[in-house]
Amino acid sequence: MNTFKTVIHLALRDYLHERLLSACAVMGLAAVLAPLLVLFGVKSGIINTLSDRLIQDPRNREISPVGSGRYGADWFSAMRDHPEVAFVIPQTRSIAASMILYNENSANPRTVLVSLIPTAEGDPLLEQYGRIAAEKNEVVLSEPAARKLNLKEGQRVSGQVGRSLRGVKEQVAVSLKIVAVLPLEAFSREAAFVRLELLEATEDYRDGHRAETFGWPGSARPTRPKVYPSFRLYARSIYDVGKLRGMLMDKGLEVYTQAEDIETVKRLDRSFNLIFSLIAVVAVLGYFASMVSNVLANVNRKSRYIGISGLIGFSTGTIIWYPIVQSIATSVLGTVMAVFLYKITEKMINGLFSEYLTAGEYVCRLSLDHMLTGFVLTLGLAILASAYGAFRVSRIEPSEVIREV
Amino acid sequence: MALMRGARPTRDRPSVKATRFDVTANEVFHLQDVTKSWPGEQGFTLTVPQLVIHRGEKIALVGFSGCGKSTLLDLLAMVLRPDQAGRFDFFPQNGEALNVMDAWQHRRLSRLAHTRMLHIGYVLQTGGLFPFLSVRENIGISRRGLGLPVDDAVESIAQRLHIERHLNKLPGQLSVGERQRVAIARGMAHRPSVVIADEPTASLDPINAEEILSLFNKLTDEYDVTLIMATHDWGKLGERGFRRVEFGFKQDPNRGNVHAMILGQATD
Repeated sequence: MNTFKTVIHLALRDYLHERLLSACAVMGLAAVLAPLLVLFGVKSGIINTLSDRLIQDPRNREISPVGSGRYGADWFSAMRDHPEVAFVIPQTRSIAASMILYNENSANPRTVLVSLIPTAEGDPLLEQYGRIAAEKNEVVLSEPAARKLNLKEGQRVSGQVGRSLRGVKEQVAVSLKIVAVLPLEAFSREAAFVRLELLEATEDYRDGHRAETFGWPGSARPTRPKVYPSFRLYARSIYDVGKLRGMLMDKGLEVYTQAEDIETVKRLDRSFNLIFSLIAVVAVLGYFASMVSNVLANVNRKSRYIGISGLIGFSTGTIIWYPIVQSIATSVLGTVMAVFLYKITEKMINGLFSEYLTAGEYVCRLSLDHMLTGFVLTLGLAILASAYGAFRVSRIEPSEVIREV
Repeated sequence: MALMRGARPTRDRPSVKATRFDVTANEVFHLQDVTKSWPGEQGFTLTVPQLVIHRGEKIALVGFSGCGKSTLLDLLAMVLRPDQAGRFDFFPQNGEALNVMDAWQHRRLSRLAHTRMLHIGYVLQTGGLFPFLSVRENIGISRRGLGLPVDDAVESIAQRLHIERHLNKLPGQLSVGERQRVAIARGMAHRPSVVIADEPTASLDPINAEEILSLFNKLTDEYDVTLIMATHDWGKLGERGFRRVEFGFKQDPNRGNVHAMILGQATD
C-alpha cells in the first residue's frame, strides 16, 4: 500500500514537474473534447428541439377519416384506451358544424362564417399553439377568422345559428369569449374551436330540437344515444401514426395521414443521429490515438526513471500505475478545461440566438448528466489508452535502462 | 542477535567451503555456479563459480569496462535474472533468507522487489535521481515506500554527507559531485543490509572522488552495512579494508564472444 501510494506520488510529482508538457497534453485533450461537447450541446439543444417539434407537431400526428361513418360512445372510449392515441374527440355533421360570427364592437360590424371544430382538454393543436377553451361559451379562433372579424384575444364575439323550421326562418345567438387566437401555421382556414357541447347544441338546434345548455327552443331530442359521423384524432407521436392507421384500416376505415411528411421527419431524425454518432466516433478515435501516443511517448522518455523505481524496489504491479495515474490526471484536467471552454461557447451561442428563443429553449445545452457521462467516458478511455503504456512499463528491465545517460 | 537469526544448517554445504569460511552463519550472499549470458554475435557470458559475501564486508569488484561488473551487481541486486545457479541465496540482516534463484524461477517478482526495497541500496554511476523530486524526497523515497518515518533519517544522513543545505533543491540544481552524495544518501537512508555501488565516483574529478569515497566508506562503517562496489580503479581501496574480487576475461577469437569469470576471492 505504501509502495502504491509512493508510486502515485511519484507520478503526480513528475506530472507537476513537467507542467509544460502536461499542459500540452491537457490542452490536446481539451482541443478534441471541447468541440465535441459543443457539437453535442447543439445536438441536444437545437437539433433535439427541432426534431422533437417535428416529431411532436400535432399537424403530423393528426389522423382524419375520409368520408363519414357512424361512431358511438363505445368506439370513442375504446380509442381513448389505445396507448398510441393522444387525443380523440367526436365531430358533429359538417352541415351543422358551422356558425356565423359577428363582431358587434366595432363601428363597421363584420361577419364571418366559420367551421366549428370540437376541442377539449388535451387537444394537441391548441396546447401547442394556443389555449384550451375551457368553458362552453369560450372560443379559440383561427388567425384568418380573427383577422376578418378584426378581433383579438380577450374580446367577445357573437355567434349566430339559424334554422328553417317548417318554412319559418329562426335564429339564436350566443356570446363567446375569445380565449386565444391560433397562429396561421396552426390552422389556415376560418374556424372556431369550441366545446363539443356547443357543437352538439348547434346540431340539435338545426335539427329542430331544443338545446337546453344554451336555452335554445325546439322539440325534445329523441333519447337514442348520439352517433357521430366523424372525429378528430391525434397519435401520441409520429411514430405511432403508422400503427394507428393500420389498425383503423383493418377495421375498414379509410383515413388520411401526413405519411410523406412523417417519413421525411423520421428520415431527418435518423440522419441527424447517424451523423452525430459518426462525428462522435471519429472524434473519440482521434482522441484515443492521441492519448495512446502521448502515453507511449511518455513511457519511452521516462524508461530510465521507471527502471530506477524498479531498482529501488517498487514492484511491477505498482509501477504500472505510473502512466495510468498521469493519464487520469490528463483526462480529469482536460475534461475540466473542455467543460470550461464549452460553457463559454454555450453562453455565446445562446446569446447570439436569444431573440429566436422562447423561455426554456436553448440552441446549445448539455445537462449535468451528459457532462458526467462524458467525463466517465473520458476517464475510461484514458485508462484504456494507458493500458498499453502500463504493459510497456511492465516490460522495462531495470538492468537495461538504469545506466542510460 | 543478527548472528542467531542469520544462522542456518550447514549440512547441505560442501565441507571444504565450510572450513574455508568458518563464519558461514554470517553470510549475506552465497552464489555458486551462477551464469548469465547474452547470446548472439557479440555475445557475453558471465560465470560465477563461487562468490560468498559476509556481513559487514567491503567488496571491490575490480576489472575494466565490459568485464561483467555491472552484470554481477544487477544479479546481486535481484534486477537481473540469472540463467542458471547452483545456488543463489540472500541472507538479509533482519529477515528471512531468500533463495533468489527459486524466486526468479517461480516469478515471485513482488517478493524480489520487496526484498530489494527493504534490504538493498543501489548507488549508480551517475545519480539516477528523480529530477522531479527534491533532494529530501529523493533520499527518502525507499523509506516512504516502506512506510518508515522519513524526515529525521533523511536529515541525519544528509548531514553526514554534507548536503543538508541542498535538501529542498531539485537534483538539477546540484553539481555532479553533490548529486552523487544524494545518490549515496538515497541508497542508505533506509538502512539496508547491503549497499551496491556501481563505480560511484567514476564521473568525478579525483579530489571530489576521494572525498566522497571517504565519506561513503565512513558511512558504511557507521551504518554497519555490507558494501559491494564495482570499480576500475583499485587505488587505495585495499587500504580501506576492501576485499578484491577480480574478473577474468577471455574473448573467442573467431566469433567475438566474450566470456568473463570471477577469478579469486583473495582477501589481500
